[in-house]
Amino acid sequence: MGCVYIPVQHSDEEVRVVLNQLPLDANDILDILKAEQASLDLWLIIAREYFKQGYVEQFQQILEEGSSPEIDEYYADVKYDRIAILNALGAYHSYLGKCESKGAKKDDHFISATKYYNKASRIDIHEPSTWVGKGQLLLAKGDLEQASGAFKIVLDGNKDNVPALLGQACVQFSRGRYSDSLELYKRALKVYPSCPGAVRLGIGLCRYKLGQFDKARQAFQRVLQASELDPDNVEALVALGLMDLQINKGDEIQKGMEKMQAAFEIYPYCAVALIYLANHFFFTGRHHAVERLTDTALAVSEPGLQKSHSFYNLARSYHTKGDYEKAGFYYMASVKEISRPHDFVLPYYGLGQVQLKLGDFRGSLSNFEKVLEVYPENGESLRVVGHIYVQLGQTEKALDVLRKATRIDPRDAQAFLELGELLISSDAGAALDAFKTTSLLKLHFTYARHESHLLASGNHFMVSQARSLLKKSGGKAPIELLNNIGVLHFDKGDFELAKQTFKEALGNGVWLDLVDGKFCSSAVDSDQFCDMQLFQRLQERGDPVELQWDKVTTLFNYARLLEQLHDAEKASILYRLILFKYPDYQDAYLRLAAIAKSRNNIQLSIELIGEAIKVNEKCPDALSMLGALELKNDDWLKAKETFRAAREATDGKDSYSALSLGNWNYFAAARSEKKGAKLEATHLEKAKELYTKVLVQHPANLYAANGAAVVLAEKGQFDVSKEIFTQVQEAASGSIFVQMPDYQNCLRKFYYNTDTQVLLYLARTHYEAEQWQDCKKTLLRAIHLAPSNYTLRFDAGVALQKFSASTLQKTKRTADEVSDPISFFSPFVRSTVAELKNAVRVFSQLSAASNHHIHGFDEKKIETHVGYCKHLLDAAKVHCEAAEREELQNRQRLEVARQVALAEEARRKAEEQRKYQLEKRKQEDEIKQVRQQEEQFERKKEQWKSSTPASKRKDRSHADDEEGGHSENRRRKGGKRRKRDKKPQYEMDEVEPNTMYEDDDDMDDIDTNLVNNHEKDKDQMNRQENDGEENTQDLLAAAGLEDSDVEDDMNDPPSTKYRRKRALSDSDEDEPSDRKAESGQNRESLAEPESDGEFREKEELHRDTYEEDED
Amino acid sequence: MKLAGLNTIENAHEESVWAVTWVPETDSRPPLLLTGSLDESVKIWESDDLILKGTNTGHCLGVVSVACHPSGVIAASASLDSFVRVFDVETNATIATLEAPPSEVWQMKFDPKGTVLAVAGGGSASVKLWDTATWQLIVTLSVPRPESSKPSDKGGSGKFVLSVAWSLDGRNLACGSMDGTISVFDVARAKFLHHLEGHFMPVRSLAYSPIHPRVLYSASDDAHIHMYDAEGKSLVGAMSGHSSWVLSMDVSPDGTALATGSSDRTVRLWDLSMRAAVQTMSSHKDQVWGVAFRPPGVTGVRAGRLVSVSDDKSISLYDYS
Repeated sequence: MGCVYIPVQHSDEEVRVVLNQLPLDANDILDILKAEQASLDLWLIIAREYFKQGYVEQFQQILEEGSSPEIDEYYADVKYDRIAILNALGAYHSYLGKCESKGAKKDDHFISATKYYNKASRIDIHEPSTWVGKGQLLLAKGDLEQASGAFKIVLDGNKDNVPALLGQACVQFSRGRYSDSLELYKRALKVYPSCPGAVRLGIGLCRYKLGQFDKARQAFQRVLQASELDPDNVEALVALGLMDLQINKGDEIQKGMEKMQAAFEIYPYCAVALIYLANHFFFTGRHHAVERLTDTALAVSEPGLQKSHSFYNLARSYHTKGDYEKAGFYYMASVKEISRPHDFVLPYYGLGQVQLKLGDFRGSLSNFEKVLEVYPENGESLRVVGHIYVQLGQTEKALDVLRKATRIDPRDAQAFLELGELLISSDAGAALDAFKTTSLLKLHFTYARHESHLLASGNHFMVSQARSLLKKSGGKAPIELLNNIGVLHFDKGDFELAKQTFKEALGNGVWLDLVDGKFCSSAVDSDQFCDMQLFQRLQERGDPVELQWDKVTTLFNYARLLEQLHDAEKASILYRLILFKYPDYQDAYLRLAAIAKSRNNIQLSIELIGEAIKVNEKCPDALSMLGALELKNDDWLKAKETFRAAREATDGKDSYSALSLGNWNYFAAARSEKKGAKLEATHLEKAKELYTKVLVQHPANLYAANGAAVVLAEKGQFDVSKEIFTQVQEAASGSIFVQMPDYQNCLRKFYYNTDTQVLLYLARTHYEAEQWQDCKKTLLRAIHLAPSNYTLRFDAGVALQKFSASTLQKTKRTADEVSDPISFFSPFVRSTVAELKNAVRVFSQLSAASNHHIHGFDEKKIETHVGYCKHLLDAAKVHCEAAEREELQNRQRLEVARQVALAEEARRKAEEQRKYQLEKRKQEDEIKQVRQQEEQFERKKEQWKSSTPASKRKDRSHADDEEGGHSENRRRKGGKRRKRDKKPQYEMDEVEPNTMYEDDDDMDDIDTNLVNNHEKDKDQMNRQENDGEENTQDLLAAAGLEDSDVEDDMNDPPSTKYRRKRALSDSDEDEPSDRKAESGQNRESLAEPESDGEFREKEELHRDTYEEDED
Repeated sequence: MKLAGLNTIENAHEESVWAVTWVPETDSRPPLLLTGSLDESVKIWESDDLILKGTNTGHCLGVVSVACHPSGVIAASASLDSFVRVFDVETNATIATLEAPPSEVWQMKFDPKGTVLAVAGGGSASVKLWDTATWQLIVTLSVPRPESSKPSDKGGSGKFVLSVAWSLDGRNLACGSMDGTISVFDVARAKFLHHLEGHFMPVRSLAYSPIHPRVLYSASDDAHIHMYDAEGKSLVGAMSGHSSWVLSMDVSPDGTALATGSSDRTVRLWDLSMRAAVQTMSSHKDQVWGVAFRPPGVTGVRAGRLVSVSDDKSISLYDYS
């Protein structure tokens, strides 16, 4: 235990100061020192002791006191000790300045350090220790040149000055002259063999830098091992650890980390150790530890590179955890600590990645470009930059960059893959080639280089040749690539090629036998879609049922392809195979469920989705599908719950589930008519709310707009709803609802002619055009397709009835107009009567069937129709008789005319005979007489002839009257129609529906049209009545009845258009049953989103895309 | 096993052709073809040249089904107005007009012995059996409604009977309905035996195998063809390949092949031993409503024939070998 003795002034006594029992208050000691005028070296010893024990304040106080002017005065001749005190203070301040991170304080410390050193210099300019101190100060300030100068001055004086040697070595090390530095360290060690470990540490570092790792390691180890040295030297530990880490082998890393940990335990604030520990924990995934360590590291590390590293570690940790905001923040901090990207480029990379993720493409681009500045040939950065260009829409640039990437490293199959993916959007063919190239690349570099050129030049023929070369060489492309090529073929619709590619990708396996149907002799149970027995049996039989994990995706895609090729059976076997081996493959469940759903096997489908949901209960697709199924199954409450869950699972972002919920509410409203208006209103309100929400998210969502409009119409806000409908219709141009006249094409194109709904639209169009026969045939076709749809029968009945009624009217007119009515008349009436009988039969059958509660028609209504048809039949009978009577009369009239003609002929002949005789007799008579006679005869003839033209004129005037009537009509219609001729009824009505669809925008006009039509019909009937025919009175009454019926019944064939019109025009007179029918139609149109969902299902194809390296 | 196109008559009818059957040969004449159409007529054709031999009118609304007595002498046609007209093939003389309101009429088939005519009764959920001697209704075989019948079952369309098939010995009868279930009856006891399940969409065509008495084939709107053990109540197999509804089906006389007609406009030939489609004929331009193999004649030496009819108004004849 050391102690110092302060000699008491003017005596031989001494004050003993035990060094480890120094008083806390430095003034006690100071008082003694001052009182006894102790020598300055004692001051220094005590101050140093304070410092060693950590009492920095006391240390400072003593030294400051020791360098005060009074002391200077008093000890003016004690040069060395005064210098030593000043130097100690200077060194202390340079140390403080070095540690201080804040600029201003740092400068303060350096300034005071400089002050002390200058003062020391003033005392003795040649004192080497002062120069050493100055050198250290300059070194701390980073002023290498001046520091070197300071040390040089000392060394010039004494070339073995150890501190100066060390200082100079440090300078050289910092300058990067490691061998010089090493020499200096060595000299220091020679001069002073028992120097502290730091010297050996320096040697180790120099050797390390010079690449002499073994010697460096020896040096570091000596620092730690030599007992007289510093066994706890953190730097040495860290350096050794680092070296261990860099060997990069499992156990070495372990050792390295142990050393780091030891260093950390000795001194918890060593930034390097902290950073490396954090780094280690990052890779072992202990993010919490990373953050804690890095926080500490940040607190202690020096600004600049170390801080940057720390921030980088922190950022990386957040990045991995997916907290991009924070990661971005720390990356940014890390970047800010770096003056040049060349020093530490990784944070730029990370920042770029995060910005990419957050959608800040431009920022990301600039960061990646910085990376590229440092590493212009970094493939990954090039790829990312290419990707960003794609996102920014600068495809050309993207292609350039990617091509550069592929050019720099033609073996970089990944880049080719990216290039291919990029090309998919623009040019599937080229993309395919790129993929092919990729597959080649992975195998045969030579061919690949060849082909990448070909690819650039787009020479497809050569590509295929290269491919065949590949085949010849016996190479086999990797499965993911073949999978992607297959998917591309699939997307392009080349199913055969896709099939081949998938098969190639899959190779041999149990699936081949399954698809070839080798095991199909085994019985299939009715719950065929869940059946796994097939595979179990196979296994029992000793056949291996294996499915490598990397083939699952391809197998799934293959199954999707089979499904697309309508081979659902085999597809289902493959899906089941996948599930047999990988029961968590949710998509296979979903596909199986979709197959079952398409086969209308609702129960099974629900079960399968249940399985899927077991795998992941938050899967919105599965939930949406389940909801749709439950709705189909009439499970209203469950459906609602499911849609809700689906909506929650997607945070309400999935418009499908929201729409479904909206629809649900709407149906519920339409349904709950009996339950009361209040409930209906709430449901409608909810539905509207949901539709609106979807619309807010996706303003272009037609279904939502349509739904909203329907709800508005239901609530009576027709103006708004009309507007929305019109917009929907405009937006949907190209969808089937707009192409009304093209129903037939549409049927053929989309539904294989199996959609009765569209047939119904078609029938409606025919009905409107009064093409009764076509209408009837169309309806019959629909019945044939959907035999159990009694509505269709009802409609057919109505069509028949309408047909008869209109033919009866028409026959009369044609009877008036056509000059020869006989050939026209009776067939019409006859067919009319036959059709009427059919109508009666159809209606009575419906009426009978209604006893069985098979359909939902009002019996009374049917009876009305039956009654009306019978009535028409009666009318027709009278009509028929009248017609026949007229026919008879006509015949008689003609007979009379013929007889008259005959008589005339006879008379003329007689006269001629007489004339001839007269002529013969009076041939010799005077010529004049003869002429006179002849003239007279001529006159007579003329007179007789003129009677025929007169009657013709009369006919024409009659026809003119008709024309006038029409033109009057035309005028009333406001010149709406351009076409018009003498057989107006057919022609005109053919035009009419067309114009109606064209004039989407002005509904009012259409309404007027309708009204006009209506009036016109009545007009015609009135005219007929005025013609004085009997029975028209009855007919008129009948027609009145019929018209009201038509209003009721024929809105069954729905179309957005008509619904709208109905909603607009007939709102006031709606009867309840009418309303029902209407909501029925709405329901159909609302059911559309379902197909949307299906579409989504279908689109689900798996593509193996490479995933961006996070690092 | 393959089909080869022989002859096609475009515009054989004025409208869609919906039904076709063969009239077996008699001592005096070769086999004939009978087609029914939406144009309300039934036409008789001579095979193989498809020469029109006669046109029967008298139906109102479309003709949905035609059936011919095994003797080849009489035939029946049914239309959407729910009348069945039984007529003499040679003279076109009406033998009887059958009607059982409110039951509609869909598929009809004579039993193998020719003593009974079975008529699918649509919404009446029953099959009507008519005595071919007296043309009186023998019995109505009603499909029992399922026990778990839900009230929501829309209007009972569930058991709407569309199709019928007789077993080889004529003892059993199967009928297919809109909801996809197939019901099997014991004809002699007029008793319902059981349901066959597996389809969930309309079953429009049924046929028993001519070589395996228990095997029943069914064609459905779900685009699948099922094979059932009709007595063991089990689904033996399923075949898929059509991209839309399978509307019609017939088993070849040798029992090894199946022909189907579909809404996807194709006719497919299926090898029953492989359970796979072996050939697809795409000559029709619209859905194929009927396919029929020619029954083996008395002489039985001539090659097989298959006929198909379609919404495109045409009739196609194929050689089956």
